[in-house]
Amino acid sequence: MIMTKKTFKYLIIFIFTIVFLGAGYFLINNLKSSNNLVKNEVNENNTTFSVADNKKDLEKNFESMPIFGNWESFTSENGLPDDKTYCVRIDGERILVGTHGGLAVYENKKWKTYTKEDGLAHNGVISIDVSELTGDVWLGTLGGLSRWSAGKFENFTQLNSGMPNDLVYSVVCDGKDVWVATGGGAGAYDTYTKKWQIFTEKNAPMHEPWTYGISKGDGKIFIAAWGGGVIEYTKKTRTFRDYHDPDGNMEIDLFPDDGIVHDITTGTSWSNGFLWVSTYFGLSRYDGVKWKGYFDHDSGLASNFINSLKAYRGVVFLCTDKGLSTTDGTNWVTYKRNDNNSKGKVFITKEEKITETASSSSISHSFIIGVDVKDDIIWVATSKGISRGELLKQ
Amino acid sequence: MKPYILNLAIILCMLLLSVSNLIAQNKSKMYGNTPDRLFPYNNFEKAYKYHFIDPIQFSGAGREKLPPKDLKEVRIGFLGPLEGSAIVSLGKQMLQGTMLAIEEANKKGGYKGLPYKLMVHNDAGLWGAAANEVVKMDDEKVWAFLGSIDDIVSHVALRAALKLEIPMVCTGNPDPTYTETNIPWTLRVISDDRQSGYAIGAYIFEKMKHKRVAVMRNSGRYGRVGVGEFYGIAKRMGHPIRIEERFDTGETDFKMQLESIKQLTPEAILIWGNAKESALIIKQIRSMGLKQPIYCSDRIVSKEFLEIAGPFAEGIVSTSPYNPEANNPKLKEFQINYFKRFKQQPDAFSAHAYDGMKILIEAINKGGLNRVLIRDYLLDLKTFQNYQGITGKIVFDATWNDIGDIWLAKVKNGKFTFILNDANENVGTKIKGAKN
Repeated sequence: MIMTKKTFKYLIIFIFTIVFLGAGYFLINNLKSSNNLVKNEVNENNTTFSVADNKKDLEKNFESMPIFGNWESFTSENGLPDDKTYCVRIDGERILVGTHGGLAVYENKKWKTYTKEDGLAHNGVISIDVSELTGDVWLGTLGGLSRWSAGKFENFTQLNSGMPNDLVYSVVCDGKDVWVATGGGAGAYDTYTKKWQIFTEKNAPMHEPWTYGISKGDGKIFIAAWGGGVIEYTKKTRTFRDYHDPDGNMEIDLFPDDGIVHDITTGTSWSNGFLWVSTYFGLSRYDGVKWKGYFDHDSGLASNFINSLKAYRGVVFLCTDKGLSTTDGTNWVTYKRNDNNSKGKVFITKEEKITETASSSSISHSFIIGVDVKDDIIWVATSKGISRGELLKQ
Repeated sequence: MKPYILNLAIILCMLLLSVSNLIAQNKSKMYGNTPDRLFPYNNFEKAYKYHFIDPIQFSGAGREKLPPKDLKEVRIGFLGPLEGSAIVSLGKQMLQGTMLAIEEANKKGGYKGLPYKLMVHNDAGLWGAAANEVVKMDDEKVWAFLGSIDDIVSHVALRAALKLEIPMVCTGNPDPTYTETNIPWTLRVISDDRQSGYAIGAYIFEKMKHKRVAVMRNSGRYGRVGVGEFYGIAKRMGHPIRIEERFDTGETDFKMQLESIKQLTPEAILIWGNAKESALIIKQIRSMGLKQPIYCSDRIVSKEFLEIAGPFAEGIVSTSPYNPEANNPKLKEFQINYFKRFKQQPDAFSAHAYDGMKILIEAINKGGLNRVLIRDYLLDLKTFQNYQGITGKIVFDATWNDIGDIWLAKVKNGKFTFILNDANENVGTKIKGAKN
């Protein structure tokens, strides 16, 4: 059959369209799936891959963010009272770990557990802080607040002390005051007068009565009000200020940098002039003037579901349900466990490029609940055990 | 222009359009079955981030835990207002619906021969009691729990449920923000105030053609959050609410608020509150000579409302998450058994609690005695998607919120009559006739 000139023209148009459409589809899909980032992978199956190699590899890929490695993990099989760890606090030479089965203390490479039988308010220890003033350890539990001082526990509950609620999600010591975020509002306990001051929607600009996180910094207390955004309390003036997602809708974030990305806040942490706010919908940073939002699709954040956070020396450590992410606001490092071979994965995001590197050691689980960092040591509380890491590169 | 050049230009235009669609954020379906034109900001601005499109997965540990071997019973928690609350009557209905489902399951052999035992907790004790009660349930080693009705209680309980990783089935709280917390540990088996807002909004503005509407709402969180979605769609339909007045639970004289409303001569009045106050407000509205049509939130669908409002209830329209007259053999059987057991007619809270507990028991039977596995079945959006309960078809969205059947209830000849509202499909177009 002889092709007419007209048929030939249409055939050319058809072929051109198919090729152009295919190329466009391929490009767009790649842009969407990789978020416009290049991904380099190191072979994780290389069994001779050593920490030294790993360190070298990581150093090569990053120059400013701290990189942690040499992970050592602990579970109920080697010292913890329960696999589920909620929180961790580095207290000098000892490590305090809140678990579902009691307070675990790691000292001189040995674990010791404290439970209700020892006087703890409840075995579920979900928040810890240490008073810089007295050295007392304050433990937020599922059944009240415990002060651990001179080897003895003193317990505070709704009934015996008038604190807001017995479920103490977060505790922070601030001079003589101990602040708590509970299921029934925030509270401040004056250790001198031995009196509680309670903050709820009745006397503070929180339109919900429940609170979840609390932190201090810059002469202020920052309350994650779980549905009410962030409540800032200035100690000098004793005044409150609230921060919300300006679009006023739960189902969207209209603009990422106009305020907190969502009103369901889970934690706050202040460091080096920045207030960091975690939510189950992404991360926010406030410099006192402007907000900036971060999501898993536009940054190195492992997941938008952030259980808690800790800011330290300009870097924020983010406990997500898919790994531990760290960032200085520009560059990102994320640590995950490789479930196939129990080794670790480190994802470094720098200038829109992601590098995935295998590490011979790993955090014990990728579902991260709590974290603490001091100098060159990091401790990570996970859904299954706790891990200790060392600084490889600053 | 030559035909083939024209054709080429058309194909290129189509191609460019398809590429631009690929770049746009995937948003196959608006959250909550919200029509495009009623979605926040949708008519003016594309949002940077749309939440609740895909369900959150729980990636924590726990699935590997083996069940204990020395159990004598399988404990399930219950959290509801049973003492010291204005909604105790609703809480008791919820408890009774739960008990009936448990008793029926035990008659069939319970869980592999072990009886189910309900661990009952009152949520209206000390301030923030719900959090403490959920901790007690964890100490009692419940495998999951059902509750509650009050929105504050439910929020507080859910937060504790997440921390303790206990599956929570909610069958009474209509607060839209409850499931908007993104917590992958709860399933809601009752339509929320978002769906109610769409249904009553379509009825008021589209079917009845009202333009100037006044609102009287409960001053608590139930009223504030409840009318929130209605306000949103009123604004997007071009009829922002003219006036909002508030009343407290237990209040009996509403003259001050109603005088303010009267001055603005609204075409209709919407009341969002509990049955008792709503009935008293309606009586006072009529005694002041106001003849405007009155619409209410779904808590009025009760015997208590009809008794207090008396003849003034005639013609009142509200939404309802439950149709007791539905032609559903399972519902008829439930109604007979419920009356035999409790000498009382079931209401929306007992019916949804019955459905919720049936679902929960089935999830335990499938997942075994492991909280994470029970959660997995409850929230997989497959096992219980389109579940045919006694309350109708239950459909879950990506937040595990029930966006299934909802009805409009109208008082005729001293009793409620029900029509199925297909608000999910037809907000702003029509109210469908009765299906059941």
